[in-house]
Amino acid sequence: MDPLAEVPLLPGEERVTDKDLIYMCPFSGAVKGKVFITNYRLFFKSTDVDPAVTLDVPLGAVSRVEKMGGATSRGENSYGLDITCKDMRNLRFALKQEGHSRRDIFEILFRYAFPLSHAMPLFAFLSQEKFEENGWSVYSPMQEFRRQGLPNDKWRITFLNQSYELCDTYPTVLVVPYKATEEDLRKVAAFRSRGRIPVLSWIHPENQAVIARCSQPLVGMSGKRNRDDERYLDIIREANGTTNKLTIFDARPNVNAVANKATGGGYEGEDAYQNAELVFLDIHNIHVMRESLKKLKDIVYPNVEESHWLSSLESTHWLEHIKLVLAGAIQVADKISSGNSVVVHCSDGWDRTAQLTSLAMLMLDSYYRTLKGFQVLVEKEWISFGHKFASRIGHGDKNHADADRSPIFVQFIDCVWQMTKQFPTAFEFSERLLVTVLDHLYSCRFGTFLYNCESVRDTNEVRTKTVSLWSLINSDQASYINPFYATESTRVLYPVASMRHLELWVTYYIRWNPRIRQQQQSPVEQRYKELLALRDQYLKKLEELQLSDSAPHLPNSTAPSPASPTQRVTHLHTPF
Amino acid sequence: MEFSEHIKTANVEDVILTQPFHPPVKGTLCVTGHHLLFSGRDGDSSAQLLLLLRNIDAIEKSVENLVGCSGLGSRSSGQSERSTGSSGTITIKCKDLHILQLDVPGMEECLNIASSIEALSSLETVTEMYPFFYRPSFLSLQGQWGLSPAEQDFAQIKALSDRWRLSEVNRDYFVCPSYPPAVIVPRSIDDETLAKSAKFRQGGRFPVLCYYHRENGKVIMRSSQPLPGANRKRCKEDELLLQAVIDGSELGYIIDTRSAQLAQQARMTGGGFESKSNYTSWKRLHRNLERGKVLQESLIKLTEACSDQSHNMDRWLSKLENSKWLSHVNSVLATAGLLAECVEREGCSVLVHGSDGTDTTLLLTTLAQLILDPQCRTLRGFLALLEREWVQAGHPFQQRCAHSAHSHARLKQESPIFLLLLDCVWQLERQFPLALEFGEPLLLQLAQDAYASDFGTFLCNSDKERCALGVKEKTHCLFQFLCRPSERDRFINPLYQPTELAIWPSVQPPSLQLWQGLFFRWTQSGQYLQEAREEIRNLVMQCCRRGCGQSAVQLEADSSIPSSGVVDC
Repeated sequence: MDPLAEVPLLPGEERVTDKDLIYMCPFSGAVKGKVFITNYRLFFKSTDVDPAVTLDVPLGAVSRVEKMGGATSRGENSYGLDITCKDMRNLRFALKQEGHSRRDIFEILFRYAFPLSHAMPLFAFLSQEKFEENGWSVYSPMQEFRRQGLPNDKWRITFLNQSYELCDTYPTVLVVPYKATEEDLRKVAAFRSRGRIPVLSWIHPENQAVIARCSQPLVGMSGKRNRDDERYLDIIREANGTTNKLTIFDARPNVNAVANKATGGGYEGEDAYQNAELVFLDIHNIHVMRESLKKLKDIVYPNVEESHWLSSLESTHWLEHIKLVLAGAIQVADKISSGNSVVVHCSDGWDRTAQLTSLAMLMLDSYYRTLKGFQVLVEKEWISFGHKFASRIGHGDKNHADADRSPIFVQFIDCVWQMTKQFPTAFEFSERLLVTVLDHLYSCRFGTFLYNCESVRDTNEVRTKTVSLWSLINSDQASYINPFYATESTRVLYPVASMRHLELWVTYYIRWNPRIRQQQQSPVEQRYKELLALRDQYLKKLEELQLSDSAPHLPNSTAPSPASPTQRVTHLHTPF
Repeated sequence: MEFSEHIKTANVEDVILTQPFHPPVKGTLCVTGHHLLFSGRDGDSSAQLLLLLRNIDAIEKSVENLVGCSGLGSRSSGQSERSTGSSGTITIKCKDLHILQLDVPGMEECLNIASSIEALSSLETVTEMYPFFYRPSFLSLQGQWGLSPAEQDFAQIKALSDRWRLSEVNRDYFVCPSYPPAVIVPRSIDDETLAKSAKFRQGGRFPVLCYYHRENGKVIMRSSQPLPGANRKRCKEDELLLQAVIDGSELGYIIDTRSAQLAQQARMTGGGFESKSNYTSWKRLHRNLERGKVLQESLIKLTEACSDQSHNMDRWLSKLENSKWLSHVNSVLATAGLLAECVEREGCSVLVHGSDGTDTTLLLTTLAQLILDPQCRTLRGFLALLEREWVQAGHPFQQRCAHSAHSHARLKQESPIFLLLLDCVWQLERQFPLALEFGEPLLLQLAQDAYASDFGTFLCNSDKERCALGVKEKTHCLFQFLCRPSERDRFINPLYQPTELAIWPSVQPPSLQLWQGLFFRWTQSGQYLQEAREEIRNLVMQCCRRGCGQSAVQLEADSSIPSSGVVDC
């Protein structure tokens, strides 16, 4: 049979080339086979091992392609390609050392893995996929604010940013204090980095305390003040009628905040903002996070550092960073619960700020813990408020060493996973959703995570020209449901953010290692689905029997009521 | 009763009990022969405490004389002779790792209570221990003690193979004081040969069968080390016995739980190993497993790290690593996996021993059976396995579990071998959430009972000792109790789905986790996870009931078709 027939192709996906080569599998050694390159993926299938070894990697996940060895290098399988992926793995392929055998495949791979660097479109714009559900309709800012009970007499919706003039990295619809005029907003924008003024993210349905997000104030070395900004924050503070101080959470370590003054930024000084208390949350910047995850990769791929696993894990500091992010979000949620409004910012307000507001909202509002609600949360706090996905992930871009890249969103999803571990019945979605989201964070198959902000997305007509990731998810919801979800009302979840209670997300970070127990789909979920299927099967059988039994065939004299039908059935054997 | 001489003050009022995750409660403290009883003022059940004195590992006391300090609460006139103003604090550290604090008004009362606890918690006489006094109305001493008599186990094997027999060579415990009266041995070996082999094995623990593989007929045997000593003595009967285990030309494996070097050294003290030249059909594999003091110290370090409440969080993983507990878990599971592989994949019989054959040996044989045998993964099957491989096989519970991680007493024979077993089983449960019929609550219960119990099951060091003291007649059996329908429900894993397949654990370090349910049992609020567990149980039950249970029950009632095979979810 033609092995090509087995390459899965998406609508709009086209084969570009194929090549016989050797996959240097770090777990099972060299495997002969054929690699297929399409405009979307790299697909490898072994030719001489049983069971066949396959690889199916979206080209979007490729961060770097390199040639290894030269025409004269010695040793078996020393000549070929080395591919670094964004999803915690590396792939190595070896070729014959004759006649520049790798030149073509290298160039094709390089071009299709980094289309933007070659003036080619991302696959999301070529995809012809159709789904039952339209994921672009999941999030409507107006609907979401209405769900929160907004506008109300203290908070209003403004369209001042309709054409991205106030702030080009914010969405068009913003919620601001009723008392602040459009003129006030403009003045505040001038004092906030990149015009990212404090706006409402979430309001507590009872005590009306709000989470507001923004960027750092432009205090600078001279310690500039801005009366409008000061007054604006005070309006936010008093909007829910408390006399308490407003808490400003600066996500950065204190020293970093001070250092930012040198480049015109800074933080809210005590003298200027007398009704506010400033709390630093000690979360490090994107560069620290990038290096931390890189260290983590070093100890888990290809081989797990066995002899000193725990201290090696500790030295990556990855869990410590997770801890700090979660601990920060807990503080935010706690302030809100006790009726104090908070303002959250870091430097630009699109990395750590997004982590903190979205995690705090996840703790406070059970709606965001549903499958739909979580999509809204990601759309709102991350995508619409301009987390720079394009820069942080580097979609289709060949500059693998770009200092703007950082796994901030991965870290957020990890925090969500930690919460699902601590509250196994509080989330409607399963681990599979989280892994799928991360897979398509890189894949470029959907438009959801493309570009840095709404204004650029509008220019590129993402909503009309690409498919949303949520279309895929919502057309197959059953696959992403947590079987143990227990609908609950309004409980606030406070996870324990202590090193002792955080776990490494082994099933994501070490999922390529076959020696780690594979639970792509946990056996528990599998079992749950079987039980559901069994139930359906029984109910169907029951219905059939009711129909066939509805003839006057009564086993005893008591008339069967519709609620408790009598039936007759032979042995049913369960399928397991 | 003699206990009364240890009790100078039986009751104290106005004692304040402080324990993690509970607000301090004021109430009455009462010391009895076997219990510490605390009853809160409000009659609220959370403020009740009934603690077996046997469970207390260590106490610390401090008394203060606060004469002149007022405001310690009003006193009734009857207590006015009390040395006003003085008080004391007793910190109680339990073997199940629970730590609680009692603030006792009155220095003398405090000292009295403390000395009662010290004396009564360390009683050495087995027949004075609580299981001999525990007489709940719902249990009868007439019932069967233990789950499955050796005859029953043997009957299963007999049905499959005629190469084995049940020997009563040890009926009087003469041949091997730590073995039960009946053991399974090769049919071709007579009792006389067994007795001679026993003389060549430490403590008389000659090789006996503990597992028979249904499909390939291979077996797991266990024993203690042979005694060739420095002179390389040999014993024909022992060689014959092992030869009879395997058929003619086959090869068997001996897994020695000591390093090759340690096994060599053991010869200097009369022990040793099976030499290649004398046991030609057997191939030795050495896997060094820690035991004794090393494990005990590991547990102490781990407990210290877990109870360290300072917020120096960034050292936690290093501390955890330094305790080495998880690396012990790792090597035990890995070696048990090796043992199971030899039997299942290589199709070879295996003999397991270390030196005494009462500790690491049992760890391996137990875990290998869990990995291989679906019968052992049911609640009853697991308890029967523990009964066979630990209680009957002579794991010296009394010595090993005399103290746990907090004791200041000089360590003698204490070692958390059984705790390590339970941890390994927990790891299996975590990696195979559907494969075991029981869950964490059962393992926690066993961890507690091994150290202090209402039941007699874990008393003494061997069957011989239990018989001599009448344990089986005068105490209740824990395993029988746990199998009662009312208890069973608490311990059943609602997701259980039997599988015939072997369950091979992953032993990569990231696959192993600290057993928080045990080690953080008292220091973290497990409330949410417990709630979640309850919710899951209800969900599954509902799902079953809605899905098939109801209709099946109904059907059965209506058409009197036997329900077997209908409801098995």
